[in-house]
Amino acid sequence: MQPKLDTPLVVLVVLTSVAVTSPLYEMIFGKKSLKYVQYLTILSLLVSLILLISSTLSLTPQESTVPHLLRNDTLGSFFSFIVILVTLFVSITSFDYMKGNPNERVYYSLLLFTAIGMTMLCFAVDLLVIFVAFELMSLPTFILAGYNKQDKLSNEAAVKFFILGALSSGILLYGISIMFGITGSTNLEVISQSLTSLSPDMLPFVIFSTVSMLAGLGLKLSIVPFHMWIPDTYEGSPTTVSTLLSAATKKAGFASAIRIFAVIFPLFYFDLSLALAIIALVTMTLGNLAALTQKSITRMLAYSSIAQAGYLLIGIVVLPYTNLGLIGLLYHSFNHAILQATAFLAAGLVRLKTSSSSLDSYNGLSKVMPITSFCLALSLLGLAGIPPLNGFWSKLILFSAAVDGGYAWLALAGLVNTAISVAYYLLVIKRMYMDETSIKAIKEPFIFISVLVFATAIIIVTGLLPNVLYDIAEDITISFLANNPV
Amino acid sequence: MLVDVSFPLISILIALPILAGLAIPLLFKNSQKYIIHYAILIALIELFITFYSYGLILSNGSGGEYNFVEGPVKILGNFGIDYLAGMDGLSGPLVLITSILTLLVIFGSRDLIEDRKVLYFSMIFLFQGSIMGVFTQLNMILFYVFWDLVLIPMFLFIGIWGGPRKRYAAMKFFLFTFVGSVFMLLAFILIYFSVSPHSFNIPEIAGKIPLSLQIISSVLFFIGFGVKLPVVPFHSWLPDAHVEAPAPISVFLAGLLLKMGGYGFLRFNIGLLPEASAQYAWIFILVGIITMFYGAIVAIVQTDIKKMIALTSVSHMGFVLVGAFTGTIFGISGSVFQMFTHAAAVGLMFMLSGYLHKATGTRNITVIKGLKFSSPRLATLLILGSMAAMCIPIFSSFISEYMVIVGAIQINPIYALIVAVPAITVGYFLWMLRRVVMSDPKSNVKKWDLSNVSTIALVLYLVPLVLTLIAPWLILDVVNPFSTVYAANFRLMSGGAA
Repeated sequence: MQPKLDTPLVVLVVLTSVAVTSPLYEMIFGKKSLKYVQYLTILSLLVSLILLISSTLSLTPQESTVPHLLRNDTLGSFFSFIVILVTLFVSITSFDYMKGNPNERVYYSLLLFTAIGMTMLCFAVDLLVIFVAFELMSLPTFILAGYNKQDKLSNEAAVKFFILGALSSGILLYGISIMFGITGSTNLEVISQSLTSLSPDMLPFVIFSTVSMLAGLGLKLSIVPFHMWIPDTYEGSPTTVSTLLSAATKKAGFASAIRIFAVIFPLFYFDLSLALAIIALVTMTLGNLAALTQKSITRMLAYSSIAQAGYLLIGIVVLPYTNLGLIGLLYHSFNHAILQATAFLAAGLVRLKTSSSSLDSYNGLSKVMPITSFCLALSLLGLAGIPPLNGFWSKLILFSAAVDGGYAWLALAGLVNTAISVAYYLLVIKRMYMDETSIKAIKEPFIFISVLVFATAIIIVTGLLPNVLYDIAEDITISFLANNPV
Repeated sequence: MLVDVSFPLISILIALPILAGLAIPLLFKNSQKYIIHYAILIALIELFITFYSYGLILSNGSGGEYNFVEGPVKILGNFGIDYLAGMDGLSGPLVLITSILTLLVIFGSRDLIEDRKVLYFSMIFLFQGSIMGVFTQLNMILFYVFWDLVLIPMFLFIGIWGGPRKRYAAMKFFLFTFVGSVFMLLAFILIYFSVSPHSFNIPEIAGKIPLSLQIISSVLFFIGFGVKLPVVPFHSWLPDAHVEAPAPISVFLAGLLLKMGGYGFLRFNIGLLPEASAQYAWIFILVGIITMFYGAIVAIVQTDIKKMIALTSVSHMGFVLVGAFTGTIFGISGSVFQMFTHAAAVGLMFMLSGYLHKATGTRNITVIKGLKFSSPRLATLLILGSMAAMCIPIFSSFISEYMVIVGAIQINPIYALIVAVPAITVGYFLWMLRRVVMSDPKSNVKKWDLSNVSTIALVLYLVPLVLTLIAPWLILDVVNPFSTVYAANFRLMSGGAA
């Protein structure tokens, strides 16, 4: 008999073993320990990545030892693959970005703890585990956001993030407790069964609980009206941390949202779907309009990230109506994670070299930092959804899903928003390639650039060969919906 | 109905320029000495392949169906995005003029483009490959992909090699055309879900779209293609883009980019939505007529020769729109022919405006005097080019315009009033020539004239125009079978009245 693998547990053990021990190496190895910490972090992330790829493609037979807590399915593997990949990018680029920071060792450990939380969140099927994972994911990011402790903006970012984060955790927990009160369980499967035989009197409580959970998760999903902290936090945190927040933690939140809504939808899908559609509309419109007026690239990317959450939400809106919704959501999650990570990391490199994130410092950048400019330009075009880059295909599927699900107006809104978003993405490209500069040539650090080039290569390759990811997303969707009929 | 050959002609037409363009930064990293030779070589190879494929359609008389069909090859799983390419009587002349103009533009860039040549030539080929894709893709989404891909080289052309207000013009160009294309994409998605089985492939969905959706799609397509053509409410990007773009790029803009709009109207509005188009043809014709008159009248008062030519283009594109929506064989053939001849005629005029700027340092019609004394070759070509743009019967642009007018009169005699447009056109071109060429020279004008090579390159623009005047069947034998099919379909939908 072939041995079976419990991927989530193995990944969690691998990551935890490094995360817990790495701050201790300083005592044993002294000054050299930093290198070891960095290499071990990368190694553990790579091992997890390989495990998750093989599990997403189901190369090895899978089973779960704790099926009622962590469900070992391809949906979870896919999302945790995304978040681990982003964490890997962030860790490698931090070699340069965090160089000289007094607490560098702990930084990597905190990154890994975030990764553990995110991985758990991707697989969790019990509301309490979801809550614990949510906290495990959030707490290290509060610290990471304020990592430059001498920097006022970084402090503001951390405090704002912490207060709203604590509030959202509270609301999430409140929603969970009400759900427990109604159904007597925190397991999503049990909840799903007891909700089908629910008396109509209880419906308001279910709605209340759903709204609370949506509000709690909404903070991580960066949907309006829970988006207030985003621009300030992304601006103030070290840019690598902003990358982690916008490209990774958001995706883990979406994984959890899919699981929760797949359970709740059958009960009263019509109202909920319409409500979510309106939230999606407001989120994308507000994000894009606010991004148009920004003077700093990190703030612009922050608002763009909000707008993209609006597009992603379309996938959940049409979950009950068409498979395409979930396919598009999975597909766009991957593409957006890569595109957003590339854009943010490129912005981080520029910030590192010019110590400014103002859009003015991008004038004529293509002459002094050609590779960074190229990667940034491609990722922005991808975010805008210019074909044949990967962002185009997944947006196309999301908007098609909206039409298929009977929300043609949402598709129209999405497309008009895409047209608006092109304006500010293009403005950065115009600055980089057409404006004049006075800055002298800047040396682009090799490791940082390699990550950017690698990510850009993914953008181009998955754009030219959209089939690969689409097929994976389709398989995952079919197997997920077979287990959770919506 | 699909003529199949095993040799992937169309893929080569698309891939050769794109790959050749991407290779330029690698090949000419250090020395740019031979870059122009390389570019001409690639453009010549492309031209020969085009001649070969066009000749096959011409000799088979198979313009009414898709030739050299490739695919469908699945690109995006079960989601209906297939690689499906084919060339019919509509694509044929446009592909032909694309190859011809690219070669001529490369000749022209020899004199007029000096900096960042590596990027410039690789973008030229990216542009050519994408345009080839637009004219040959039969899957709506891939059509859209190439349609948007065209924007990126053009954005860089205007923004990097343009005039003083280049950044503004580049942004305006990109935003206008992108916003238009977004509406087009929505129509594609709506159409996809309305037919069963769901499909993006044009041959599979023709005739299956319900009338209500045809009307909605007509509006959405009108925005998408109307921005590109351009028709009058959406035209304001065009004069800016033309004035700021360098002369060779203006040739691309007027010669090829505007034709994408005409192609879209014919392929999608007439081909896919014949019912809605037949019912509301009068609206489109009206917009076309307004566009013609607007372009012609505004052109009269221009002092910048380039802006004048740009507005002439607007006026001529009105003919394309009117011709298409007459739904007669004359009208449709005439509008395809018009796209072909206009590309060559206006291409020449734009190149000349570039040389004029080089010779005199200005493009202001009221300032340049006595060109026939200071630059006789340039002056001669300017007169010949103006005659082509005025549609004087020594060039085939006359035939195409005449065909559109006949088609329009067939529908309704009141459309005979569009005959006034060529009269206005003749008026302002002659006025321009009188002021620029036929006037007395200023005393201290230095002489500057075209080199032999440049003269030959410019005369080459006139060759297709003369050739197709003598032998219009070269184009019409390809286009007419196509127009017959589309016109029959169109008549059927408008209740058989003709």
